Amino acid sequence: MIELNDLIVQAKDRVILDIPSLRLTKNKRYGIIGENGSGKTTLLRVLAGTITPTQGQIKGIKRDETMGYLPQSPYAFSFSVMRNISMAFDHSKLGENQAREMLKSVGMEHLLHSVGNKLSGGEKQRLGLARVLAMPREILLLDEPSSATDIRGTDIVEALLQDWFARSDGTLIFSTHSPAQALRLSDEILFMEKGKVIEQGDPKELFENPQQEETRSFLSHWRL
Amino acid sequence: MELINSIFDFIFGPDPELRQIIAVTLRMSFFSTLISALLGIPLGVLLGANNFKSKPFVSRLVNTLLGLPPVVAGLVVFLLLSRSGPFGTFKLLYTVNAMVIAQVLLITPFVIAMTANLVGVNAASINETLAGIGITGMKRLKYFLIDYRIPFISIILAGFGRSIAEVGAVQMVGGNVQHKTRVMTTAIMMQTNMGRFEFAIALGIVLLLVSFLINSIVNQFQKAVGDD
Repeated sequence: MIELNDLIVQAKDRVILDIPSLRLTKNKRYGIIGENGSGKTTLLRVLAGTITPTQGQIKGIKRDETMGYLPQSPYAFSFSVMRNISMAFDHSKLGENQAREMLKSVGMEHLLHSVGNKLSGGEKQRLGLARVLAMPREILLLDEPSSATDIRGTDIVEALLQDWFARSDGTLIFSTHSPAQALRLSDEILFMEKGKVIEQGDPKELFENPQQEETRSFLSHWRL
Repeated sequence: MELINSIFDFIFGPDPELRQIIAVTLRMSFFSTLISALLGIPLGVLLGANNFKSKPFVSRLVNTLLGLPPVVAGLVVFLLLSRSGPFGTFKLLYTVNAMVIAQVLLITPFVIAMTANLVGVNAASINETLAGIGITGMKRLKYFLIDYRIPFISIILAGFGRSIAEVGAVQMVGGNVQHKTRVMTTAIMMQTNMGRFEFAIALGIVLLLVSFLINSIVNQFQKAVGDD
């Protein structure tokens, strides 16, 4: 169980994350939805340990090799795509064959020898995901993993995540701007607004019968 | 025409002094740039890639040293290396080594500042990406160094340019000793003071040619590294 207690993140004088209590069960998939600036990225960063909360505690999450975190705009280094993937292996015994397999899984095998920083935004995102998934992870934190990909790329990303979850029994926590994606990939949804988790629950129930006015208002903008 | 002839005579003539001056200039510039790069690039990466409490102060200090007048750097090194100074026993004053020390003092802050500015642009994104795959702390340094290898060459080249063109500090600690510490810039200054303008112009042209040649070689190398 991942537990967050009395968590506050302040940027200068403004509170950007305020979570009195949150429980996330392991081996489940959590989708975080909400408007821009609602605190999704900050929550993922706090969980990943890339920012330190102003106050509060986080329990049940190890910031080591068993945790993988994909930022919204992952950096692609100015060396080959192959090397961009295999850099995740530098401190392990895994090798280049696995890197090749990972590239194949994100549909980028043909870009094996391309230079990382010359890739498109969507390709960089898929490369970042492949790099994070190249190592065995218990917890996966993904900040809008398909925000820059096209529909084919989104399909690849979602299939990869479904496959990872089925194989690893890990915990997946991701943010998305697409309620449909949250519905497809989550066991539970967290709706955030103004730095707070407003509602948490089963995707179908939350979408069909939101309990909070803020959630209803947000979902009213969702069109097919 | 007469001027061009005398320049050619001077460059390709039997007198070995010019070749000696070029050799001393290159030796001094090469070693001072090398030491400054070895010190300045890792320090610049640490400064640019990290957020720490005293970062604004350290940045200000580096920027202040950027404006250090060469004669002041020369004076400091002169006092340190003079016979009565703390390092007087090493008898380094009026040697190429003393000139290298003064140049390192001048160029290192420049390399640190340029590197920190360069790396700082994408540092947050790189740090976050590396943290996401479990690469934290000093292990990050390697990836910054590899990722910025091509722009680093430009910084090194700019440092070399500063070194080869500097005159105040090397004059003070090198003493412009013939066949020993005379470099292109101090020789140009001396010839100008003596009213031997042809000689001074010839030296200036050679300095530009040497600089152009080195730039061309490094640019080819940079291209090769980029294509790699």
